[in-house]
Amino acid sequence: MGMMEENQRERMEDATVDQFPEGLRVLAVDDDCVCLKVLEALLRRCIYHPTMAMDAKTALKMLRTMKVKFDLVITDVRMPDMDGFKIRELIGLEMDMPVIMLSVDCYKKVVLNGINHGACDYLVKPVYTNDIKNIWQHVESRRRSQAISHMSRDNANDERVHPGSLAMSKDSKNKRNDEYDSNKNTESTHSSTTQKIQGWHGQLSFKTSF
Amino acid sequence: MDYANLRRQAASLKRSLFDQGYLDEQFCQVEDLQDEASPNFAEEVVSLFFKDSARLVTNIEQAMEKYPKDFNRWDAHMQQLRGSCFSIGASKMNNECTSFRNSCREENAEGCRRSFQKVKREHAVLRQKLESYFQLLRQAGPARTTAVRSGGK
Repeated sequence: MGMMEENQRERMEDATVDQFPEGLRVLAVDDDCVCLKVLEALLRRCIYHPTMAMDAKTALKMLRTMKVKFDLVITDVRMPDMDGFKIRELIGLEMDMPVIMLSVDCYKKVVLNGINHGACDYLVKPVYTNDIKNIWQHVESRRRSQAISHMSRDNANDERVHPGSLAMSKDSKNKRNDEYDSNKNTESTHSSTTQKIQGWHGQLSFKTSF
Repeated sequence: MDYANLRRQAASLKRSLFDQGYLDEQFCQVEDLQDEASPNFAEEVVSLFFKDSARLVTNIEQAMEKYPKDFNRWDAHMQQLRGSCFSIGASKMNNECTSFRNSCREENAEGCRRSFQKVKREHAVLRQKLESYFQLLRQAGPARTTAVRSGGK
C-alpha cells in the first residue's frame, strides 16, 4: 500500500514537472455512460477537474449558469437531443471556449465537418491517455491568440508587432467573425476553413487505421 | 485458500481473452485506471458496459422488428453499441458490430440479421468470460494481501 501511495505521488509530481495545468476544468458530454466513465477517469488521471453530462441540454445549462467556469468542452458528435456540431455552434456564439469533438467515426468527411464547425480537435474512440494529456494546449493556444489579438487591436500602428503573431490575431478575429455571422449555415468559406485548420497545431488526433 | 494460484488463473484467463481476440489493449487501459481511490474501477466499468449494452441490444432488436429495412435507424443504434465496445476493448464484439454496419450500408437485411445474432452471441460469451475473470480476482483479493481470516472459534 505504501508503494501505491509512492506511485501516486510520483504521478502527481510528474504532472507538475510536465507542466499540465492542474485543475483544468473540463466539461465532457456523451450519452454513452461507459465511455463517459472511462473518460472521467482519464481526465482525473491527468489531474484535471472533470464534470460529466449525458446530454446536450444538461451540458448547455451547466455552461450557461456559470456556476463552474469551464476551460474546455469535450463532446460526442452523436447524441439523441442535439448533435455535437450544434453544441459547438452554440458554444461559439455564446461563450468563447475550445470544443473538442469525440466520435467513433474516423471518416475524413466527418472529421472535416468537425473542423468546419470550429472544433479545435477531433478524438476518435477509444480515447487514450495521450489524447487527453494534450488537450490543455488548446486552452493555452486560445488564451495566447486572444492576448495577441487584444495587443494588436490596442497597438494597431505598432510596427514592432511580429508579422507571425499579427497573422494569428487576424485568423482568430476572422474566426470569431465567421462564428457570429454564420447562423445555421454550416458551410464555411475555403479561407476560413484554412484558418481553422492552421489553428490545429498540425496534431489531428484521429486515427485512420480503422 | 491459495491466493497466488487464483491470481495465476485470473492472469491466464485474461491472456487467453487477448489471444483469442475477445479483448484488445483498451481493456488494459481500463485496468490501468484502477488506483487506490478506485480499486474496482475495471469491474465497475465492465459491469456498466454489460448493463448498458443489454439495453442497446434490445433497442436494436426492437428497431429491426418495428422498422423493417430502416437501415439508417438500425445503423444509428449499432453505432451506440460500438462506442461502448470501444470503451472497454470488446474487440470481437466490435468486429461483429462492424459487420452489421456493413450490411446496413449494403441494405442487406439478411446480412444484418445474421450479424446481429453474432453480436448477441459474442456479447453473451464475453459476459460469461469476464464474470469468471472478475470472480477469480475477487477471490484472489488484493495482490499484497497477507491477511489471514481466523475461521475458528
